[in-house]
Amino acid sequence: MSESLLDRHHYLLRRLHSLSGIMPAGAFLISHLTTNSAILWGHANGKWDGMHGGAAEFQHEVSFIHSIPFLLLIEIFGLWIPIAFHALLGIYYARSGKSNLASYGYGGNLRYSLQRISGYIGLIFILYHVATLRWGWTFLVPGGTEWSAEFAGSTMGAIMQGSPDGFTAMGFAIACFYFLGVTLLVYHFANGLWTAAITWGLTISEAAQKRWGYVCAGLGVGLMFAGWAAIIGFAALDVDKARETEMQMIESHAATPEQADTLSTATSKEDH
Amino acid sequence: MTAQQQSNGTTATPAESAGTRTVRFRIKRQDGPGKPVRWETFNVPVQASSAGSGSANVISCLQWIAANPKTTEGKDSTPVVFDCGCLEEVCGACTMVINGKVRQACSCLMDDYAPNDGDEVMLEPMSKFPVVRDLFVDRRRLFDTLKRVKAWVPIDGTYDLGAGPNETPDDQQDRYRLSTCMSCGCCLEACPQYTLEDDEAKWATSFAGAAVISQVQYFNDHRTGATLKKKRLDEMSKPGGVSDCGNAQNCVQVCPKEIPLTESIGKVGRAVTFHNIRKFFSGS
Repeated sequence: MSESLLDRHHYLLRRLHSLSGIMPAGAFLISHLTTNSAILWGHANGKWDGMHGGAAEFQHEVSFIHSIPFLLLIEIFGLWIPIAFHALLGIYYARSGKSNLASYGYGGNLRYSLQRISGYIGLIFILYHVATLRWGWTFLVPGGTEWSAEFAGSTMGAIMQGSPDGFTAMGFAIACFYFLGVTLLVYHFANGLWTAAITWGLTISEAAQKRWGYVCAGLGVGLMFAGWAAIIGFAALDVDKARETEMQMIESHAATPEQADTLSTATSKEDH
Repeated sequence: MTAQQQSNGTTATPAESAGTRTVRFRIKRQDGPGKPVRWETFNVPVQASSAGSGSANVISCLQWIAANPKTTEGKDSTPVVFDCGCLEEVCGACTMVINGKVRQACSCLMDDYAPNDGDEVMLEPMSKFPVVRDLFVDRRRLFDTLKRVKAWVPIDGTYDLGAGPNETPDDQQDRYRLSTCMSCGCCLEACPQYTLEDDEAKWATSFAGAAVISQVQYFNDHRTGATLKKKRLDEMSKPGGVSDCGNAQNCVQVCPKEIPLTESIGKVGRAVTFHNIRKFFSGS
């Protein structure tokens, strides 16, 4: 008659599952996608004169993240374990239901099914993404490029394009997989935030759920654009130009835009 | 049919009786639990409602089949077994899956579902409850779960209850909507999170479903019923409780009584959150 561990702490685990999806996973997704979208909008702030602004701004962000002390521990305990917990329990919970979209094609039912599908595909994507870029499983990367924190933009561009010399068919497939994975994960987060509010009892009335739905949809659309911007930015990146920029930054140790300003002044002087 | 026309009055003229059409019923049949499933079709003559017979519904058609159990292939069959009671959509007994969607058979009118000659109507038993025979299912799990959450107001007669609690019309109106639940099972049939469970031993840990969660809210909201609030919320915190809801919200779409089931789920969800935070810090 002994209850299983899962049954005994059923409620706590359910709530931790919900919580882990928002914090840290969702919160990280927001910062991750806004950071990565810098590859596209990095030109906009005009601080990287004479350089590839996107690559420079992105490198600046990556360098900052990699300057955080005990980064690996933070990753393991702050990201990988909570995400693995969320994923494993999520699969266990998802298997308790059975989609019936064919008979009951309501919007809510579609979101329910999509939440589970996006979870499954999203997990595969995250595993691939982390294994290839963080754990160095380059045998899974077409073209075999290894991502480097010092050459963040150029290596990422080469990975997503399939080679350092431009797009290949496999590179296009990887870019598509990134597009699919990011899109589904953003949906998973936005919809999860909407259902979490019901689960925890924050939104009760239909009107409240609708209002919160607009907030979640707004956040989702914003994040979707950030995610797509990052993918387009890397897929369309001039890898050589980005690498030149990164080299310049390494040579001048330009970790901040202010330093980069000095650098660009220096390089423009050399031109004369 | 002549006898039926006569019993319905003498207003039928030859022109109106020409308004009789044939509706083909495709019915999923099963002789008993664990027995093989087969499909049978029956042609049922249905009169246009202008013929003065009123509108035929699924129950009246099943009754016609019971009197004429011959399939479209001309094979002798047996009357199709089904459950029904009130015939006015308040008892929930005749709930079945009609054309792929769950609803009550008695309120399912042929004028809506099969307006033209030769139209087909498909009948299946609910898929989330064990089949007893044909369209008749065993909904005991639902009643079992209602007992588990103590879906009643405790009045055992051992003490003087005194005057009843004061009641505002607003509260009364809120609860009235929840009181109209007839435990028909539509919300459970349409719920992707509520799945068939033949094993009675597992009912206690299988998802309770919207109908039961809504009854928890109904009785917790009642001043005397709230005596058992903590016990109900404890049940709702266990496996099968409110946190197993997947928020597909099909329940509220298919509820024939238009009960705000998702609001009940939200309210019970909130109550369970507070209940467990309180328990975490104070123990009960």
